[in-house]
Amino acid sequence: MTEKPILELKDVYTYFYTESGIVEALDGVSFDVMKGEPVGVVGESGCGKTVTAHSTLRILPKNGKTVSGDIIYKGVNLLDLPDLQMRKIRGKEIAMIFQDPMTSLNPIFKISDQMTEVIALHRRCSKKEALEIAIESLDQVGISEAETRITDYPHQFSGGMRQRILIARALALQPSLLIADEPTTALDVTIQAQVLGIIKDMQQKLGLGMMLITHNLGVVAEITKRVHIFYGGRVVESGYTEDIFVNPKHPYTYALFESIPSLEADKTRLMTIPGNVPRLINPPKGCRFHPRCKYATEICSRMRPPEHKFGRGRRVACHHFEELDLHVGKEAILDRAAVKEEV
Amino acid sequence: MTTTFEEFETVDLFSSWDAKTQPIISIHNMKKWFPVSQQSILFSRVVAHIKAVDGVNLFLNKGETLGIVGESGCGKSTTAKVTVKLEEPTEGSVYFKGIDIFQPMTREEELAVKRQLQMVFQDPYSSLNPRRMVLDLIKEPFDIHFPDMLYEEKEARVLEILAKVGLEDYHALRYPHEFSGGQRQRLGIARALAIHPEVILLDEPVSALDVSVQAQILNLLHDLQKDFDLTFMFIAHDLSVIKHVSDRVAVMYLGKIMEMSPTGELFRKTGHPYSVSLLSAIPRPDPRIKMDRIILEGDVPSPINPPSGCPFHPRCYKAQELCSKVTPDLEEVEPNHYIACHFPEI
Repeated sequence: MTEKPILELKDVYTYFYTESGIVEALDGVSFDVMKGEPVGVVGESGCGKTVTAHSTLRILPKNGKTVSGDIIYKGVNLLDLPDLQMRKIRGKEIAMIFQDPMTSLNPIFKISDQMTEVIALHRRCSKKEALEIAIESLDQVGISEAETRITDYPHQFSGGMRQRILIARALALQPSLLIADEPTTALDVTIQAQVLGIIKDMQQKLGLGMMLITHNLGVVAEITKRVHIFYGGRVVESGYTEDIFVNPKHPYTYALFESIPSLEADKTRLMTIPGNVPRLINPPKGCRFHPRCKYATEICSRMRPPEHKFGRGRRVACHHFEELDLHVGKEAILDRAAVKEEV
Repeated sequence: MTTTFEEFETVDLFSSWDAKTQPIISIHNMKKWFPVSQQSILFSRVVAHIKAVDGVNLFLNKGETLGIVGESGCGKSTTAKVTVKLEEPTEGSVYFKGIDIFQPMTREEELAVKRQLQMVFQDPYSSLNPRRMVLDLIKEPFDIHFPDMLYEEKEARVLEILAKVGLEDYHALRYPHEFSGGQRQRLGIARALAIHPEVILLDEPVSALDVSVQAQILNLLHDLQKDFDLTFMFIAHDLSVIKHVSDRVAVMYLGKIMEMSPTGELFRKTGHPYSVSLLSAIPRPDPRIKMDRIILEGDVPSPINPPSGCPFHPRCYKAQELCSKVTPDLEEVEPNHYIACHFPEI
């Protein structure tokens, strides 16, 4: 691919220092987002999806710190930027939409105040111009009668409408990269369909790079071109969405697909992953998935799996990926005799 | 160990009920309106009603799973709460094994009804008292329903039920905060199951859980249903979960049942325009599926002032003048397939 990535994370480690110990929230995460490309970040709760976004924008809480690695945005390492310049990146260059649209809007200010403040600041224009921009962007996300509704307060809007307002506010600054953290999780399915439609339209129209964080595999399939699967603070698999969804190579990705009930196929019994998502204080050694993996062998508990690269940009972090022949809907068998234990 | 509690039963209420011909639960025209009052300094007066449930008719047959699906605020949970007698209905009646559960009854009779109707709640974090040990939490149903039972027997039964839901003996001496979300939901299920009810109402039991844990709980529920011969009313907003667990599905919208049919039929021959749009709104986890989506305009209207006629007509792609005037009844269009629509798709 000739395109250059707009955002590139290289071997990022983010730790949280808590009373009960160090939480290794990101443990060597590397991935990239191309210019104008929607990329999915998928995983269960506590796998480091949101921490990735917060590390990128440097909005981690006080006890969290990105201890090593590079986060390169348009050729600049964000981790080296002084605070003042970082403030110009947030919002203007990289915008973020959060999961809960109610807590992202201040209930005591009108929508117009909350939107024009940001726009006037970042786009260096007068309040009057900012208001025009705000109305126009509300119009774009399908809020009817935007001129009158902009003077309403957040509680006068429904959940889906609030999420549209946040999208409008984020996009009014003309960012190059949008980070959407579970943007539709709090919404009903029919409203989710509306909001997803808007996100998809705007992303294509504005040529935005997008990092879509979600646990919903349906949403990912719908919107993204490439996807990164997270588990326990690491990227276990990444590649093109079609490739991964049709032919997952990591046992975790495979198990994730097999454990969701399907609308198309009749599954009598769901495949389960035994145990729970690992806590990241004292995470499992070696491959972090090994205690729950049915194909795990001795080496998995000892050595961190290397990343195997193949195909078109496909990466899999598993010791046994070559021996495993996983297909959605088909049980794979690991020929244990054929596994060569490396030292 | 015996699995029945016949020696402890004091009343015989349900002798007239015949499992072969009668449904175990039938709900007739149930309404639950919550008053909205306006307060002045001295007086408060009722200015409107939130019509949470507005005329629901449905039935559950013994041993089946009825899935109830709908968006937030459509009255799913209120229906469940009235059905287990946690709320009084404003109008209408609920029959359990042929008995109207809201008729005046003695305390013994009431306990006998409630013992057989149990509920599992959505949020496993807030539905367990954080100050009580698991042993006490699961023993409580026995204390209420079988006060004469020996302590040793109660304890033995608690351990038995913990094993059934996939937990260990030593978990009995722990407190809720020591458990993960999935384990807490197992505790919630254990509490409901402890006194061997006939019917369990599951109110969004897996929606707070991660997918890998969700699959564990869904499989567990499937096994328990077979082992204990249970009848489930399974409430969820996720249609793929509903499809997986249910024998029949009821689709709710603004306090009314829009469509009720066997699960396969609902997905093959979807009848109500609302069900059609709901099905098409779900993002499929397969990038190869490209579908023409029906995107509904606007939001769900407020249940305080629902639209006249069919509640779905302002958002419906098939709506005609008739729809805004006459409320369609839930009619049996095909055997066992009920639809409340003037212009159904079949």
